[in-house]
Amino acid sequence: MRTTFFLAIFLGFAGVLAAGHFVPWGAHVRLPSQTRVIANGGRAERFVIRLPADRIDVAGAKTAGLRAAAAVGASALAPQLTPEPLLVEHFKIRDAAGNVIGLAARHWSADAHASGTAWSLMIPSRGALLLTAPAEPRAALDTALHTAGYNAGTAWNGDVKVAFAPEGTDAAVVAGGSDEFAGLAGKYSETWTITGVTDGGELHGTIEIDTVTRHGT
Amino acid sequence: MRYLVVATLGLLIGAAFACVVIYYNPLIAKAASAQPDVADRALHYSLPSEVLGFELGEQVVPPGTPKHDGLLWEETIERTAMLSLVLDDAHDKPTAIASRMLAVSPRTDFVLSGVRVNDYWLLTIPGEGTLFLRAEANVWPFIKETLPVWYLGRPWKGPAEYSPTAGPGEHGEALVVGATGRFAGLEGTAIEKYRLTDLDPAARSVAATGEIDFKLGASQVAKSE
Repeated sequence: MRTTFFLAIFLGFAGVLAAGHFVPWGAHVRLPSQTRVIANGGRAERFVIRLPADRIDVAGAKTAGLRAAAAVGASALAPQLTPEPLLVEHFKIRDAAGNVIGLAARHWSADAHASGTAWSLMIPSRGALLLTAPAEPRAALDTALHTAGYNAGTAWNGDVKVAFAPEGTDAAVVAGGSDEFAGLAGKYSETWTITGVTDGGELHGTIEIDTVTRHGT
Repeated sequence: MRYLVVATLGLLIGAAFACVVIYYNPLIAKAASAQPDVADRALHYSLPSEVLGFELGEQVVPPGTPKHDGLLWEETIERTAMLSLVLDDAHDKPTAIASRMLAVSPRTDFVLSGVRVNDYWLLTIPGEGTLFLRAEANVWPFIKETLPVWYLGRPWKGPAEYSPTAGPGEHGEALVVGATGRFAGLEGTAIEKYRLTDLDPAARSVAATGEIDFKLGASQVAKSE
């Protein structure tokens, strides 16, 4: 009886410690990567954002245009932060098959000294990617929509495609990464396809981010 | 039957003893944190007053937290969080905006390294540019002191200070990459510290002030060219 008791204590003690050490407490559900190998080396992967479903929140200067002014969940920034156009957007991101796989933050600023766009994509089971590009012109999406017949305050349907980072440009780059993305370098393109705007200014459409990466380039 | 009762009792006592060992485990308390070095720059924040947005994945919402329809419910992101906040300079002037994406790290180990969280920052200072920070934080010291207050009604011994940054740098610091503006091409390190100033057991909420210290320099690639 005594032997059983002490053996059970040892097993309980060792079992909990083993669980604390060996159980993958921090593991995330991973879906198969929708990557494809491309000619002459490297791999291509598309990330997709569906609007408005995948927009988490946004903060920015009203001068940044429709995306800052009319988005649901928009936060106003302190006046000290917005003498120049600044837009911070947060999204869920999907793979090419449409499954939500991670989160993304996009920072855009168009001031004279520090203009640029930076994306951070985090896929919990795989790591994070940093993408950078020159900033698109101020209110570029608004301009394209107005050209296509959109008027503020009224609903609009159509099909407008705006390449914020056009395919083939050398300036839109994969600038860093972690874990599975560590050591990757390459290019990306970013295309916004807007198929509708509600009378409140909410955007409907998709954002496609196409990356082409290889190790150590 | 008596053997079964004795064995069950023994297992429970052994498991409880192991939990006590984990709770007081000095390895995972020490496995925190880089020591602050001389920083080029320090930015401060205050929670919750400077939070612009905060979303917590469904699986990491503390039990008992008032329910709301969370956005991060998909199984691939249910153990993540997204936080955006304003940061101030030394004169408390709003200076930067940061997006933080957090995910429980696969390196979490209750015996050797603590509860690890991958913490990715995108931080923009208007007029200067954007930085990308990659940090691994050990949040075990925070959890260890907070949960008994929230769930067991134990008195809080705060305010308490934490230095959660535990990697991935060589000396336990976060790694920084310049993304745009004058930061493009720069690399460096960063350390975060925060001071918990209030705990609300009913709302499962906290108030804190925090600081992120950076040190930036030319990238190693640029130097070798």
